[in-house]
Amino acid sequence: MSGVGPMYPNEKPEHPYLSKSYVGNLLGNYSSRFCAGCGYGIIAQMYTRVFEDEQLDPYLHPLVIGIGCYAQIMLLVHSKAQKILTLHGRAPAIATGMKLANPKMKPIIFSGDGDSMGIGGNHFIHLCRRNLDCVELVFNNSIYGMTGGQGAPTTLFGAKSTTTPYKMFENKADAVKIALASGATYIARTTVAHPRTFMKYFKKALRHKGTSVIEIVTPCVTYFGRKNLDNLGFEGEEGSKMDTGGKMIEWIRRNSVRKNQAKFMTEEELFNKYIIGEFRYEPNKPEYADEYAKIQKIAMEGKK
Amino acid sequence: MISEKRFLKAGKHLMMGNEAMSEGAIAAGCTFFGGYPITPSTEVIEHLAKRLPEVGGVCMQMEDELASINAVMGASLVGAKAMTATSGPGLALMAETISMGANLEIPFVFCDVQRNGPGTGYVTEPHHNDIGFARFSGNGEFQIIALAPMNCQELYDLTITAFNFAEKYRCPVFLMSDAYLGHLHEVVKIPTKEEILNEVIKRELPDDTKGRVFSYKDTSTGEYIIPKPPIMGTEYCPGLFIHQPHGPDGLPTPKPIVYQEMLIEKITSKMDEISLTDTYKLEDAEIVIVSYGLPVRSSYRAVDIARKEGIKVGIFRLITVWPFPDKKIKEAVKDAKAVIVPELNYTGVIAEQVERVTKLETPVIKIPKVAEFHHPDDILNVIREVEK
Repeated sequence: MSGVGPMYPNEKPEHPYLSKSYVGNLLGNYSSRFCAGCGYGIIAQMYTRVFEDEQLDPYLHPLVIGIGCYAQIMLLVHSKAQKILTLHGRAPAIATGMKLANPKMKPIIFSGDGDSMGIGGNHFIHLCRRNLDCVELVFNNSIYGMTGGQGAPTTLFGAKSTTTPYKMFENKADAVKIALASGATYIARTTVAHPRTFMKYFKKALRHKGTSVIEIVTPCVTYFGRKNLDNLGFEGEEGSKMDTGGKMIEWIRRNSVRKNQAKFMTEEELFNKYIIGEFRYEPNKPEYADEYAKIQKIAMEGKK
Repeated sequence: MISEKRFLKAGKHLMMGNEAMSEGAIAAGCTFFGGYPITPSTEVIEHLAKRLPEVGGVCMQMEDELASINAVMGASLVGAKAMTATSGPGLALMAETISMGANLEIPFVFCDVQRNGPGTGYVTEPHHNDIGFARFSGNGEFQIIALAPMNCQELYDLTITAFNFAEKYRCPVFLMSDAYLGHLHEVVKIPTKEEILNEVIKRELPDDTKGRVFSYKDTSTGEYIIPKPPIMGTEYCPGLFIHQPHGPDGLPTPKPIVYQEMLIEKITSKMDEISLTDTYKLEDAEIVIVSYGLPVRSSYRAVDIARKEGIKVGIFRLITVWPFPDKKIKEAVKDAKAVIVPELNYTGVIAEQVERVTKLETPVIKIPKVAEFHHPDDILNVIREVEK
């Protein structure tokens, strides 16, 4: 395992997507509000790259952002994207209104684990249930970072946080399992340690008609990594520190299991692990806005 | 393209209050309704679920009130005229989003069919207990507009006015109906298509799409300028909607006080246009009844009887409850020996406002009623008492 963390050359290379980002376009620098070692910069850059590669129409892909650390992603994502910062957990509901009022749109929702598993759990479930054409990205750093490191619904068993100072003893919420049960039609999980896979999934989600849920496991060094050893208090295993971005990303890589491998593992072996891969892809399920258009047609013709 | 089904046949229709409100919304061009069933507002979502798809609109039953109001925000942001209808408990849940809507100046109409409270209360009884809550709904400071209809005709007409106010002033606009009014069946006179279209303010892009998108104070004239609402999915939209104190371009401002002042003054500086009031036999009145909503109807009868007895009494009726018309009230009660405020709540929210305006120099007599009507005699007895 790498013990040194990320190493940069003394002079940072000219970033190909710098001028595309919101702040880069505005100020021409790398200004970011994320802590050292945070994974959201990676996600922002991936989004900007996909935006450029796919030549997304900013008018048809509004970016609906919830509340959390990741909300500052608005400064790093593509400058042309129309961004709206919404309330804590309510981004799926706002996206529903947008999509129904303008069915040509395909909103892209950024939400955190507290957003979509905690306060906005209900909206998340019903977004998946309706199979509304949109992409929901769930950033899972298993901690409430913005408020200073409180336990989240996704905090792993045994981990310490400011509201679980001894250890986390609740079962964690699993966005993929909830999405599977609620009926989303494209579901995948990946991590920031697998950026190319994320780009692949994201592009697939953009082409998919229906609710796409992609959970991205991302590190929080400041509030999760610094306070926990990578064995998460599990006895019988030697823990090592996770106090840099590099160590944490390395830990996430080790702690994630591919879906194909997971088939051959027992439940104990999979405990506290992230299973990554694609879980469902059903491209031909009826989509909500399409179905509503049919209802409108029936109503306009006066049939009952 | 305007659907022909948007306009009912001109003429008289027998309608329930909640239906009249829904038809008013459709006539005003509402194309998105997000709601959650709650007694006594349920007929609104039931009626719109049938009617909105006919005109090419969308009526969505969301998973809860929080989702309803947020969907309304989303729809309004992409250029649909949107509204929601709920009752007191729903308003409590929606308060946070109303605050966000006020911050981002998203136009929307909020129908509050008030019911008895606190808690669950008697769900089919009227109680004007949200009047104060609507004024201060949500965290933070902002000014709202609240209209109080008193019959089904006004539920229809004022809903159109409410949509116009929302488009023009870009603030939350409340329609304060109640359980009895919402379930009342009355004759509503529907105007012709041309009359409606003349009145309605359309949601369209401004001529200058590169201009400012949020309200600001014109420093040379001191006037508040409210641009047309931005539409996401067009070029007339800021790069970033951020609900922090922001300038006219949408970027965070280092002077929150300027922004705060704008949110309130943009409404209160235009009181002449916003403040709708009505008077009845007020010219020589020595006793003034100040009221709004259903109690006004009982007051008319009480005044007629009292006038026959030779008591000089008149009514000053608030149609726009908030912002409170201080100047008009001051003018109306300046020669009065007493002010009577019949209200469908115990606190007397509006009575307190009248007391504030009269600086306690004129006695203000409250007639509180909760979960029942004012009988004209209730008001008449107080009038006779004062006259003695």
